[in-house]
Amino acid sequence: MSLCVLEKVSRTYTTGDMVVWALRQVDLTIEPGEFVAVMGPSGSGKTTLMNILGCLDVPSSGRYLLAGKDVTAMDDDELSRMRSEHIGFIFQSFHLLPYATALENVLLPTLYLDRPPDGRKKRALELLSLVGLEDRANFRPSQLSGGQQQRVAIARALMNDPELVLADEPTGALDTATAAGIMRLLSSLNERGKTIVVVTHDPEVAAYARRVIRMRDGVPTEESVRRDPRPLNAGAPVTP
Amino acid sequence: MRRFFFAILQALQAVRAFKLRAAFCISSVALGISAITVIVAATEGAYRKAYEMVDRFGPDAMLVLGGSEEARAIGRRDKTITVGDVEALRQAFPTAYLLVPMSSVREVNVSYGNRRHQTRVTGTTEGYSRSWSWPVVDGRDLTEADVKGARNVALIGAQVVREIFPDTDPIGKFLFVRNLAVRVVGVLEERGTTGAGHNLDDRIVMPITTVMKKLMNEKTYVNAVRIRFMDVRNMARHREEVRAFLRDRHQLKPGQPDDFRLLSSEEIIRFLVALTGSLVIFIGITGVMSLVVAGFVLANLFLLSVNERIPEIGIRRAVGARRRDILFQFLFEATALTLAGGVLGFGLGVAAGPLLKFVADFPIYFSWKAFAVGLALSSLVGLIFGLQPARRAAAIHPIQAIRNG
Repeated sequence: MSLCVLEKVSRTYTTGDMVVWALRQVDLTIEPGEFVAVMGPSGSGKTTLMNILGCLDVPSSGRYLLAGKDVTAMDDDELSRMRSEHIGFIFQSFHLLPYATALENVLLPTLYLDRPPDGRKKRALELLSLVGLEDRANFRPSQLSGGQQQRVAIARALMNDPELVLADEPTGALDTATAAGIMRLLSSLNERGKTIVVVTHDPEVAAYARRVIRMRDGVPTEESVRRDPRPLNAGAPVTP
Repeated sequence: MRRFFFAILQALQAVRAFKLRAAFCISSVALGISAITVIVAATEGAYRKAYEMVDRFGPDAMLVLGGSEEARAIGRRDKTITVGDVEALRQAFPTAYLLVPMSSVREVNVSYGNRRHQTRVTGTTEGYSRSWSWPVVDGRDLTEADVKGARNVALIGAQVVREIFPDTDPIGKFLFVRNLAVRVVGVLEERGTTGAGHNLDDRIVMPITTVMKKLMNEKTYVNAVRIRFMDVRNMARHREEVRAFLRDRHQLKPGQPDDFRLLSSEEIIRFLVALTGSLVIFIGITGVMSLVVAGFVLANLFLLSVNERIPEIGIRRAVGARRRDILFQFLFEATALTLAGGVLGFGLGVAAGPLLKFVADFPIYFSWKAFAVGLALSSLVGLIFGLQPARRAAAIHPIQAIRNG
């Protein structure tokens, strides 16, 4: 079963009399285990696409199936549940809670689950160690570097073991070396079977993906599949 | 339920994180709650005092005082109740099981040996101690024979014992009341001080016949009559009957004011409640106003806080928080702050209580009621004034909230 299926998905915004098409009749399928980069200039619809993939927004027309469930007609509570169970988000500006520790930030997604997860603290610590921050569990975001903050955000995105990890310009606020470290971390997650979609305008970032979708005026215009994405040990040295 | 619990934990964490906001909210609520705590305590104190006084006065009792209220105020004659009135009342009201006339002389010099004291001498009849439920603890009570014979005998209060007989058994001793030699036959139980600071134990009780004839040179009038009725339920009716009866005997025309006053437990309660009422209204308005102000302070600070924390709301929504999870979190935050303010306010109120007692000699009684009212009101302020900011927070769309930039 495909993880994400978009069938003729459109998203329009109405401002006054003007109808703006952010997405036009998009057909797209993402299979489990893929590493997809969505590229395009600003205003191309790539962020709208990510919002819809992440159940933050719903199509104006067309159909979106996530993990076999039709998201199109879901209400706000059901969308929250879909996000909670199926999706992990990574943002350009990290969005960690400033007053919570790294560990508490990683635990955040479990607060909104209906079923109490067993050993959630243990799992959060394991994830922190996976992203190389096992010794920073009790640090607050202000005590961490940008790259470290993004690693905490990645651990948080993985906390509820989602099928789909969505990263919106994950390296936009980081220097090149740190960015490479983050991208290699995402690659290694993909190697372990996580489905990852990265939205970016940076070709360096897109180079890590196997499949690159270019957006223009709300339509995917060009799609390329790489046989040999940037290998894990390439690029600048890791500086977590 | 689990989510509810986590929402509370999240709220508490945020309360800790935004300390300045917390300090403002807590202190503004605390001021209002402290005023309200004092009110509740004062009201309760007043009622306790009233019931204590009523208890002492006797719920089945009535006091008829000579002289109208107006006449007393300007020092006109207050002698309107006659010995004849007392007898007539006795005949007319068979359910009045005790009917005791009283005439008092103040600041009477008494002495025993070289010890001197000034006290109040009350002339009355043999039912006195029963009519005030005031037992004779030592010696004997006054008898009918004492009164009929106008004997020079006395019951003395505990304060008089302390002043005149500090280390002598007073029973059987003769003391001088002015220049009258009077034999002490009994000692009244210690009663303490009234709410007005009046020492009840500083008195000598003698047969009314003796007092009128030998101390007052008075044949006709008594100061007051105390009546106790067997049927407590009919007190209101008895009151009207006694009033009509005395007006008739005093030949007062309709429209003319009473030339006597009737006092029953009802009046005592009414008086005390009125006294308390003015203060309660004053502090009450202040308290409610400051609570409302505290509410607006809270609402404003929370709106600011919500705007500041839009990214936080966005990320919470993105990882699966529903609108109501956000709503509850902010509501809990507001309520936690106002509750803390309520607890602090109760503490402030308790601290201010003795001050008020010192300044206004006000009966104040702190109980769980004052605490409960404070907590209830403070959480209400949090819920009411926290609702608008919390709703705004819940309405924030995650896409707007997490927009990069």
